[in-house]
Amino acid sequence: MFLKMLTRAIQETAQRLLQDKEVDLVVGFAEGSLPLRNTPCFIRQPEDVQSLVWGYGCENNLAVFLRRRPEKLAVVAKGCDSRAIVELIKQNQIDREKLVIIGVPCQGMIDRNKVNRLLAGRELLSAQVNDGQVQLKGKDFLETAPLEQLLHNSCLTCTHPNPALYDILLGEPVPEKGIGLELSNEADYDAKSPAEKQAYLQNELSRCVRCYACRQSCPMCFCEECFVDCSAPEWLSKSSLNVKDNVFFQTVRAYHLAGRCVDCGACDRACPMGIDLRTLTHRMAKDVQEVFGYTAGVSLEEKPPLAAPISLT
Amino acid sequence: MKNPYMPAPVKLVKHFVETEDNLIHSFTFQFLNEEDEKAFAYKPGQFAEVCVFGKGESPFGIASSPTEPGILKFSVARVGVVTTAMHEMPEGSILGVRGPLGNSYPMEEFKGKNLVIIGGGFAFTTLRSTIAYILDPKNRGDYGNLTVIYGARNPGLLLYKDELAEWEKRSDINLVATVDRGDENWKGKVGFVPAMTKETAPSAENTYAVVCGPPIMIKFTLPVLEELGFPPERIIMSLENRMKCGIGMCGRCNVGNKFVCKDGPVFTLAQLKTMPNEY
Amino acid sequence: MLLKKDQVTNWLNKLMQTYQVFAPEKEDNSFYFRQISSGDQAILDYNNSSIPPKEVFFPRSEKLFCYRTEKGGVQLTEQIGEEKKVVFGIRPCDAKSFLLLDKVFNGDQYVDPYYLNKRNNTALVGLGCNQPAAACFCASLGGGPFSQEGLDILLTDIGDQYLVEVITERGRELLSGMDLPVAGQEAQAAARSVKEDAALASAVDLGGLKYRLDVNFEDPIWNEIAEKCLGCAACTYSCPTCHCFDIVDEVAGKEGCRVRNWDACMFPQFTLHGSGHNPRPTGKERLRQRVMHKFKYFVDNYGATACVGCGRCIANCPVNLDIRQVIEQIGQAGGVQQ
Repeated sequence: MFLKMLTRAIQETAQRLLQDKEVDLVVGFAEGSLPLRNTPCFIRQPEDVQSLVWGYGCENNLAVFLRRRPEKLAVVAKGCDSRAIVELIKQNQIDREKLVIIGVPCQGMIDRNKVNRLLAGRELLSAQVNDGQVQLKGKDFLETAPLEQLLHNSCLTCTHPNPALYDILLGEPVPEKGIGLELSNEADYDAKSPAEKQAYLQNELSRCVRCYACRQSCPMCFCEECFVDCSAPEWLSKSSLNVKDNVFFQTVRAYHLAGRCVDCGACDRACPMGIDLRTLTHRMAKDVQEVFGYTAGVSLEEKPPLAAPISLT
Repeated sequence: MKNPYMPAPVKLVKHFVETEDNLIHSFTFQFLNEEDEKAFAYKPGQFAEVCVFGKGESPFGIASSPTEPGILKFSVARVGVVTTAMHEMPEGSILGVRGPLGNSYPMEEFKGKNLVIIGGGFAFTTLRSTIAYILDPKNRGDYGNLTVIYGARNPGLLLYKDELAEWEKRSDINLVATVDRGDENWKGKVGFVPAMTKETAPSAENTYAVVCGPPIMIKFTLPVLEELGFPPERIIMSLENRMKCGIGMCGRCNVGNKFVCKDGPVFTLAQLKTMPNEY
Repeated sequence: MLLKKDQVTNWLNKLMQTYQVFAPEKEDNSFYFRQISSGDQAILDYNNSSIPPKEVFFPRSEKLFCYRTEKGGVQLTEQIGEEKKVVFGIRPCDAKSFLLLDKVFNGDQYVDPYYLNKRNNTALVGLGCNQPAAACFCASLGGGPFSQEGLDILLTDIGDQYLVEVITERGRELLSGMDLPVAGQEAQAAARSVKEDAALASAVDLGGLKYRLDVNFEDPIWNEIAEKCLGCAACTYSCPTCHCFDIVDEVAGKEGCRVRNWDACMFPQFTLHGSGHNPRPTGKERLRQRVMHKFKYFVDNYGATACVGCGRCIANCPVNLDIRQVIEQIGQAGGVQQ
């Protein structure tokens, strides 16, 4: 029900912004071509706003499309998207004056990998979400599961579902997910010994094909030359069969994101091999909070912990 | 089946700094194995992949001519890992060469025709090969008048200065060397290559033009040639692109449906006009 | 011939005495073609593998040769494998993809001995698709769920057994010693019925596509198509017909190897010149290249479309960029009749 309301609200807001020429472009989500999927869409004409929808597949972090854009634009932003935008503004990648943030309090997005695990190899042909229950239909089956069971771990542990920064807010603010922690695998990983953690990471990263979907989907990865592509010095091998270097890549990426990563899980969701990338990024975000008392993206005024002001005297 | 990825070992016998700014060095190699040398039968315009074991490979146009047997010469600008390693190599070093690769200038088609060869900067390498080939006594009679217009930013940046001086003295080649800016010792022409081309005004009748140089030079030279009446089928150019395999398999160097390594690097302007503007 | 499903393990174990056998293995509800060490590791109850079995012929990372520099010379050791292999349970679309890759690696002028040696020493046992997945569109590309193109044997699932169709001599060799019973009328009818019922839910119209691609290089529609593309290589590495690779040297002191790794035209530095010039500077040029290569350049050069309709790129794309929609969009731009 509320999806229909949100969809209509998004369409109306986008139409108004475009008609009034407040923005030249609205970045949001459209219906995907597979069940439970949505896809980023770019609307420039008021008559095209019907393509904008809201759903449980709005998993991409749209902030990744907002960096260094010349035009005035609006974006439909969930809690994590909004925090990413805050950090990008602080890092001079987004001009606050040229951006209209249409904030959407987020109830969480479904994890495609969790759906696949539940279906155990059977193909999903259509899905519906009603009253907190997800109905998954295939050729010869109908599975039902509570929505909570299928939400992505980033959503389950999300402490900022409501946009931190917005110009327009659609819908009522939502409460944090209290039950999340038990349903995510956080405790499992923390309980492992160092050797077990190593083994776990190496096992996960043995599937990595170095497609860099993780890096490309991350709003914070915007280096002109990524350390992976540097040939002098050659920091790591380019071969995806070199598992230790795959682990090295993810570890260094997590470090490069320290204090900037908003733990949105876009990297994890983008990975075509279903690798658990979130464990590292989530840990990094937690460690930054513990050591520096800093959470990325909640405040436009709060300076990043290691940002040193330039003294002009 | 022959493995096209295996390089033939070569020894660096001469390492020469070509330009005053130290950016371009010339390398002369000799094959270690006779059968590799025999198998490397090349024509002007072709290139080879030269490798520094441990650093990688890079494609370079062959500057020597097949009329200069026993050696292979390349001129290399220092831009990255492989070229920097090459620039630091002493004579006697062992490197690898894979080739010859690509197509060549249409030397058969050129027979009986006049030629105007126009080069700029360090794109002159394969043009040197072509000129040396034509000037060889065995070949000279097959070709008509030979005009060469070669320009660089300043005298220190000209390649093959000794050879240029020699060619200037010959009567069977009209060499116009020019610089954008001269110095106190420079006695030759001063002016951009497109302007020199216009000044020399070679007749387009029965003539082929071979053009090789930086994009800006090409941009202003082509209109001059077209004005002089050269049809696009008789304007020959050489493209470059980032390459790895050099044999049309790694998918990297294509411009439209043509691979620069396999269908090129030599293309006529007529062909280029049918290819997308992606080079 | 007929093969009972509970005999498959037996057959695989037998094959493993002579061949390296690659079959679908399950890991966390996704499937991968891996070398099995015992017959019961193969899982044939699957849609398709997450990444294609082209890895058997064209590994993600492969040594071309190793070198050792010594005084006055260098020792080069070629690294070409000669093992006999079987890829078991492969889908007809993936088998077809090898025929397309052959055109690249087995050219008139140059042949790739690394790919070709493996290819010539490998047999393919295919498994037809009783229930093509929703995003499969192989028929639109000239394939089909029970196509025999490129296969040595085709298995058709008819319940508790498979109908075994031997297509080549090499296929026949694989069955030596198995003494399989001949398929009777009933089994053959069952197989026919299964094949007829296998319907593809998805199709693309390639009718006007090539003509459009011949002329629309500069069309602004590419800006639209590429706008949501992230520029990763998820599609490329999922694709059975993509074959781009990088060559690098990996060193340890005086020794090292020249290695080739998968690469993708989607990456920014794929065409970056040493001078800093990049003929494909933004994502739009790169996405255009990918679509053009598969649906125009490959057709120009080899007479075939470099796509087998397996649908993996659609499933694996992080932003759900759907090649079927791209084809439709291009076809419709400019109001071209299809």
